[in-house]
Amino acid sequence: MKYILLMTGTKVGVESYLAWSQKDRDAHMTVLQRIAKELTSSGEFVSTQGLAGPEEANVVRGEKGGMPVTDGVFPESKEFLLGYWIVDVATRERAYAIAGRISAAPGPGGMPTNMPIEVRGFATYPGPGSDRR
Amino acid sequence: MKFILMMTAKKADWDEYTKWSKGDLERNVAFMRAFSKELKDSGVFVATEGLAWPGEAKMVHAGKNGEPITDGVFPESKEFLAGYWIIDVESPEQAYKIAARVSAAPGPGGKSGSLPVEVRPVLGSHADLGL
Repeated sequence: MKYILLMTGTKVGVESYLAWSQKDRDAHMTVLQRIAKELTSSGEFVSTQGLAGPEEANVVRGEKGGMPVTDGVFPESKEFLLGYWIVDVATRERAYAIAGRISAAPGPGGMPTNMPIEVRGFATYPGPGSDRR
Repeated sequence: MKFILMMTAKKADWDEYTKWSKGDLERNVAFMRAFSKELKDSGVFVATEGLAWPGEAKMVHAGKNGEPITDGVFPESKEFLAGYWIIDVESPEQAYKIAARVSAAPGPGGKSGSLPVEVRPVLGSHADLGL
């Protein structure tokens, strides 16, 4: 079964990440790369993607005179998607375990970030976004 | 340039969607299908996924010994990712135009919608990182 692991954060959270020392960031990325490698080896890896920072985000709502209506202003509380992993695993619990490992990746001073990771399955209904219809 | 188009919705919006008539749902689905096909035909399509309902979402964080701790309770205001498209286009403006088209997907009574679609560049993928 395929699951998506979503890492989200607010602007404030992203700013504090950017203030980490280079060493802390390297240690964090090393663990994330190791997790991706392990998932590839175990055949559970489907895809992963990191997104650009919230300052590059725009929301588009409909059109006016054939042009898209864009807005780049968001509430402080908005949770931005930072990145995701798609895994193909035998059980839901395995997806949670992988999310737990990502959440335990080291942050400042090598302490685990304990970042919340949202875990969801994929649509099996003809809903928005699905191309399996 | 690769961009991600994200459609998000609150639980209340999702509940609303389940009340759409069959005809309305079919019109919406037909639009989404045609939209995906068009992206593929024009060569800008990279990926798309639709996510399961918020009722299936769990928040996971690592416990003291790295064990996963799950929680399925979310604030009413939480915006859930409903689905996304990743496209490879020449400019942000082209990405916004495509986002506007999907924002205007038909809703109840066949009326054009104006759902908010978040557009952001994507960074490295697994392959780009040399993994």
